[in-house]
Amino acid sequence: MKHLKKAISLIMIVMLLLVVGCAMEPVGPEESSEEESVEESEEQIGGELILATTTSTENSGLLDYILPDFEEKTGVDVKVVAVGTGAALQKGIDGEADVLLVHAIEREEAFVAEGHGPARYDVMYNDFVIIGPESDPAEVEGLKVVEALTKISEAEAIFVSRGDDSGTHTKEKSLWESAKITPEEDWYVSVGKGMGDTITMAEELQGYTMSDRATYLSMKENLESVVLVEGDEILFNQYGVMQVDPGKNDQINSAGAEAFVNWIISEKAQELIGTYKAYGEVLFNPNAK
Amino acid sequence: MDYIIEGVKGAFKLILSLDKEIYSIVLLSIYVSFASTVISSLIGVPLGLVTGIKEFRGKRLLSKIYYTFMGLPPVVVGLVTVLIISRSGPLGTVGLIYTPTAMIIAQSLLVTPIITGIIFTNSKDTGLEIINICKTLGANKKHTFFKLIKELKPLILVATVTGFGRAISEVGAVMIVGGNIKGHTRVMTTFIAMSNSMGNYDTSIAMGIILLIISFSANSFLYNRTMGDSNGYKIKKY
Amino acid sequence: MDIRLRNIKKTYNSKTVLQIDSLKIKKGKITGILGPNGSGKTTMMKIIGDLIKPDTGRVEYDGKGFESASDRLTYVSHNSYLFNDSVFGNIAAPLKFRDMKKEYIEKRVEELIDNFQIRYLKYENALTLSGGEKQKVALARALSFKPEVLLIDEPTSNIDPNFIKLIESALKRINNDLKTTIVIVTHNTAQSLRLCEEIIFMRDGNVIQQTLTKNIVNSNDEFIKEFIELN
Repeated sequence: MKHLKKAISLIMIVMLLLVVGCAMEPVGPEESSEEESVEESEEQIGGELILATTTSTENSGLLDYILPDFEEKTGVDVKVVAVGTGAALQKGIDGEADVLLVHAIEREEAFVAEGHGPARYDVMYNDFVIIGPESDPAEVEGLKVVEALTKISEAEAIFVSRGDDSGTHTKEKSLWESAKITPEEDWYVSVGKGMGDTITMAEELQGYTMSDRATYLSMKENLESVVLVEGDEILFNQYGVMQVDPGKNDQINSAGAEAFVNWIISEKAQELIGTYKAYGEVLFNPNAK
Repeated sequence: MDYIIEGVKGAFKLILSLDKEIYSIVLLSIYVSFASTVISSLIGVPLGLVTGIKEFRGKRLLSKIYYTFMGLPPVVVGLVTVLIISRSGPLGTVGLIYTPTAMIIAQSLLVTPIITGIIFTNSKDTGLEIINICKTLGANKKHTFFKLIKELKPLILVATVTGFGRAISEVGAVMIVGGNIKGHTRVMTTFIAMSNSMGNYDTSIAMGIILLIISFSANSFLYNRTMGDSNGYKIKKY
Repeated sequence: MDIRLRNIKKTYNSKTVLQIDSLKIKKGKITGILGPNGSGKTTMMKIIGDLIKPDTGRVEYDGKGFESASDRLTYVSHNSYLFNDSVFGNIAAPLKFRDMKKEYIEKRVEELIDNFQIRYLKYENALTLSGGEKQKVALARALSFKPEVLLIDEPTSNIDPNFIKLIESALKRINNDLKTTIVIVTHNTAQSLRLCEEIIFMRDGNVIQQTLTKNIVNSNDEFIKEFIELN
């Protein structure tokens, strides 16, 4: 009898967990069949959409804010996969993602030129900042980017780079190019990590680094590093959205991807983007045409 | 130093606030690891028993194979799984990537050798003894089988709880096949890794504490069940 | 049942550990197997109990194979595996294997518990017992279903001298009352002289003498004479 009771409670626990587990699987939007939605807009598409974007984008919290609007309108369940820009683009090339939202214009244009996606559209821009120790050993505060980087290089002050082929890293490299410097020596530390880790590393080493404003703001409370260079146009960071070529494989949700692109450049989404605030500041400027 | 204290304080506040996001992540972790442990046990226990008790050529080679697979790095398992289930992979059409199911598959691949190996190593001698004794006492196949399971219950428990512990604490496999997608495939370990890289110490500590509590509970349960009964069982894990 | 060994040979690592052309175990008697270490005593016992298979030859039980005898024969070693269960549960196990009635099982197990004087251990987990206590439980368990043949390897090696007599008289009694065939491997010559009607003496894997106990002491064989003196 004792054993029977134990067996029953074990089975009940297992069943409970299985039920909970099934509840975990995204149910929502998929379940609403297209025929039922007479009252709802005819845009109900349903299905899952894999959106590949960058870690800094996801970490900013923007997507949590704006996506519900899309999901409600179309019934699409969006799965946000946040990786580095290079990895996101590769997922597009491999057909592993349905739509991309990244910030590396040249690479995006190459993506389209090579036929991996039909087109790219401007969505919004945010900006980068150069942060460093309060003591500012290379004396770059308030300077324009090119001058600041030159001084850092001459002072051989520590500069921490993401080094991970991300959009941010690509941007950073372009800044050095503009300053006509090839940073190779010991003072240039390449860490191959995400933005948060990179900032932490710069803090530990009392060095400089380039970060998107959002990530910096999210960590500001715990940091001693401060913003030293900002506002220079060269620091603006343009975001683009691209559908992945549906011909790559059968699993690509092209209807969902197309709807997403149309939505994110629509008035409503752009408005949402412009009103999103984090850490007391608006982070993104909508600029879809 | 301050941020650690602040982190711990914030962590407790978060845990006690019953934050929905945190707890849905915890529940998903338990679901995934529990399911994979069940699957792994259903395969590993019989497999370990049969190969452990029977004598056959190549048994020592099999033993080495088990040991090797017991030490499989989770990231490697994740990588292999992803190569198979990604859209361009052989099983791409099933649409498993970035789902909890894929995570369960990957963890099952990881944990099955562990359970098999533990059962195999420990049933080699004991299993045979039990079978022999049952024979001398006139038990038929059915009786012997049930006696075997009953006598080896502590061993089976150790193997499965060890497997569960491995599953719930690994991050490599679930990160790669699940993608740490908010609301879909985010589990405790991937959440901690992500929180940490974002510098959110209070949430990572909170989740870390919960993970430790779960781990500790599982092992306490195991200890009480196997040692508490004055068994004096010595079970080799490697 | 009659037990007969025919042409038995067993080799380990190219060493012949047992070679017996023909051996008959007397039915209903207590037989002792004596000999130095490595003489093949345990190997032979295990072959009779079908726990080891010989390389060649066979054992006949009333002329038939082991399957016909398997539930009427039992083997107890000096460190038998006890189940992770109470003493009562262990002793009852063989009876449960035979689907006996609950009332009968209770009665029979109580009987054995009294015979072996382990009443105070009835509900204890068998794995927590001392060596001697374990041996008693193992023996009681093996006897619970009243086997026709009892093969014992070193029955009293772990047991308190006080209880050796208890075990020996228990063995004598079941042989007397139930005509159980008992085969004992023992190092203890005195014990074998006390208990056994017949002695099988082994050396280097061979049976060098099989005779009534009273004759073994008068053996002409030098080796045997020396062995008996030393033990």
